[in-house]
Amino acid sequence: MPISIQPYTEDKIAAVRAFNARLAAGGIAPEFHFPEHPVPHWLPKKDDRHIYQEYFLAIDDEFVRGGFILKYQEFLLGGKTQVLAYYHLPVSEGIVNRKFAGIGVHMLRSAMKMQPTLFALGMGGFDRPLPTMLKALRWEMAMVPFFFQVNHPSRFLRQIAPFRSSSARRAAAGLAAFTGAGWLGIKALQRIHSRDIPGTSIEVIPSFGSWADDLWQRCSGSYALIAKRDSATLNILYPGGKSFVCLRVAGADRIAGWAVVLDTQMRNNKYFGNLRVGSIADCLAAPEDAPAVVGAAARALQTRGADLVIANHSHPAWRQAFRSAGFLEGPSNFIFAAAPALAEKLQPFDSKQLDAYLNRGDGDGPVNL
Amino acid sequence: MTAVLFDRVRRIAADVLEVPEARITVDSSSENVETWDSVHHLNLTLALEQEFNLQFEPEEIDEMSNLRNILSVLGRKLKPAS
Repeated sequence: MPISIQPYTEDKIAAVRAFNARLAAGGIAPEFHFPEHPVPHWLPKKDDRHIYQEYFLAIDDEFVRGGFILKYQEFLLGGKTQVLAYYHLPVSEGIVNRKFAGIGVHMLRSAMKMQPTLFALGMGGFDRPLPTMLKALRWEMAMVPFFFQVNHPSRFLRQIAPFRSSSARRAAAGLAAFTGAGWLGIKALQRIHSRDIPGTSIEVIPSFGSWADDLWQRCSGSYALIAKRDSATLNILYPGGKSFVCLRVAGADRIAGWAVVLDTQMRNNKYFGNLRVGSIADCLAAPEDAPAVVGAAARALQTRGADLVIANHSHPAWRQAFRSAGFLEGPSNFIFAAAPALAEKLQPFDSKQLDAYLNRGDGDGPVNL
Repeated sequence: MTAVLFDRVRRIAADVLEVPEARITVDSSSENVETWDSVHHLNLTLALEQEFNLQFEPEEIDEMSNLRNILSVLGRKLKPAS
């Protein structure tokens, strides 16, 4: 029987569990298994929401051979509102049984047929299987830059993975941390060049109100591609009672913007060791107010005790704002990939010129932070 | 299946899968050719589409997990309309 792509329904739960068991038997870690319930825990389709996820399965008679997720969301693209779909967690039995080597391509081509303006985000680097396949299918790709700011250099030098990757580096990092040489070096690199808006204030907010809609109306047109960030969408993405901290940044005469930050004490994390990591996961402001919002969010995280503050951002004005606020740019493995039908609307498609607004709030949202 | 079609497919498969042409037979499949993984399957699909100037349907792509099936799918798609 030919394999078909079908929405995930209740009657397939047992088959998905069996699929995951075959992946586990082949050594695939649980984070790459497919969800075992057909209704997404995060962003289910309900009411008249314009942001939701749908699960799809590759069905071979009574067997599940693969699955993928589409997250639908409204974007402003070239000034017009359009629904784009984010393709994620594609997993195929082909990774443990080469008999099913064609499932990955089948799922990807099916998704492109269902939703031509498809994109992918993250993916862990250009050399991974998914980006390799996307490139072969003529998707365009750009790296979303990674920024970091070190608040406690001695702890940073002792904990961060790249400095602990060899015994010589580990010893050098330990010595630099002990003598304070590392502190001086990092602080010298992180000079702050930006100036705040006069009278800048920052406030923790429980939810997003009509002021966020006004801000969205005022500044969204400055960006060629941006996911809708009105109050209704933001209150779905960043509900109260979770680990997010929502901040509103105001100048003397106007709301400059907002930021959503996380403040996480890492435990034996493979990248961050035991550092306390602050993340500027999402934010919005007009390009000219980006420095004020980045500076205020970074200061808020520093005040909370973060050893390190990190962020990814694609837009040139925001990249400049991070640099001006004293952030350093590090190696990024966070890739934006656009299917041909989307990429042709985003020319020139180049990391340095791409006028798209993408950060860790897009795609899967601020996971692993 | 014609010998000419098989020769064309064998040449492309050998090139994409990076194995000697002599090792490609109608029984070659993703199960017995070591290099035939998901990424090579995609590359083989795209190379065949380019060679024969056609596009495979998603359902045809996973059917093409061995040479015999590839030849069968191509035979159907290249058949002149009657």
